Amino acid sequence: MRQARVDYDMAYMILVVSQLLVCNYLHVSPYLMLSILPVLVLTIPIRVGTVGAMIIAFITGFAVDILAEGLLGINALALVPVAFIRRPLITLLFGNEMFSREEDFSVHKNGFFKVFVAIVSVQALFLVIYIWADGAATRPLWFNALRFGVSLVAGVVISLLLIDTLAPDDKK
Amino acid sequence: MPRRRSIFPSIVNAAIFILMEIAALNLLSRNSSLQEIWIAQASHKFMGAVWGGSQSIRSYFTLRSENEALAAENHELRKRLMEISTSTDSSVQLTGDTPYSFFSANIVKISRNKQHNYIIIDKGSENGVTDRCGIISSKGVIGIVDAVGPHHAFALSFRNADVSISARLGNEGAVGPLVWDGRSSDGAIMKEIPLQYKYHPGDTVYTSGYSSIFPPDIPLGLAGESRVINGATNEIRVKLFQDFSSLRYVTVVKNNNAREMEALER
Repeated sequence: MRQARVDYDMAYMILVVSQLLVCNYLHVSPYLMLSILPVLVLTIPIRVGTVGAMIIAFITGFAVDILAEGLLGINALALVPVAFIRRPLITLLFGNEMFSREEDFSVHKNGFFKVFVAIVSVQALFLVIYIWADGAATRPLWFNALRFGVSLVAGVVISLLLIDTLAPDDKK
Repeated sequence: MPRRRSIFPSIVNAAIFILMEIAALNLLSRNSSLQEIWIAQASHKFMGAVWGGSQSIRSYFTLRSENEALAAENHELRKRLMEISTSTDSSVQLTGDTPYSFFSANIVKISRNKQHNYIIIDKGSENGVTDRCGIISSKGVIGIVDAVGPHHAFALSFRNADVSISARLGNEGAVGPLVWDGRSSDGAIMKEIPLQYKYHPGDTVYTSGYSSIFPPDIPLGLAGESRVINGATNEIRVKLFQDFSSLRYVTVVKNNNAREMEALER
């Protein structure tokens, strides 16, 4: 259990640093906003409550905002709602037993489809807020919609690749 | 036994969430002029909506007192209007009296679904109301006071089979009794109109003033279709201006010369 937590913490730190590198050096297109932060918040261990998850999300978002090029506060603004809906979303998709047993979800235990829906949900929420705040009502709707669509697809694909690392199956 | 879920943690979560979002928005607005303008505009819109909403709610809850104030003002204006109109009447000038007094009143009870409907108002003898006072609204005649207590008065509604008022077709047309049609909340029948009197559907029906209860020229409704009764008179349907299903504020009208008129009639 302790080893698993150390592994998770390590993976979390490494992925936050990866996100910093992506933000600073990977500028492929103005339509692509690649972020793995939503899936990081989604996979925060179940035993961490909503308030704890929101604090972690705020600090993570703030750290990325400070250390990467960008608007200070925008990642924190978009990431805290992900932490806020994390518990209701997990309850809705995976059931309330996850919390009573303090058992983290995984693709093997809960199925690919449910995990996929959870990732799409948090990624979409994050991107809506991020793109909305970044545009500040100055960009046309088609630009925001295209940016949202491209970023959502890219973010979900990257998140699915990382999900086994962040939420491994306990029985493995 | 299932545990009762407390709402307290949800409130704490929501409060912390809102605080963090405000902190993030604050950071955002301090570090980008574009976002600062956007957030300022959004917050102004939000505050405008909140202030507008609270003002609407406050206005809604003060409607009752506003209505009462308007009713009082209305009856005061009606009184002054009557004083002005009677100042050209030589017979009244001789006595120096104002023929009608007006009191605003609220309906506290009303029956609507009977053939003999009644009304109870919140003004009684202590307010100067006597029996045989009329009850009117800005849209017509409502009833006639039948019994008076110290603080309340009982009146026969116009929607009562026993009530008949004297009405006139148009400004100078035929005069006849107007009674409730016994069915609808805004329907009446004007009876005994001689056949030689011509009228047009849509003509306004007024009080005639040929009674000791109601002043003349109160608009009552619009004339509709007619039919001949016994080959001698016309009976005209009237659509009343006052819908009795939405009635609350009324004016009591008292003829100060009624006693004298009734004594002469005897």
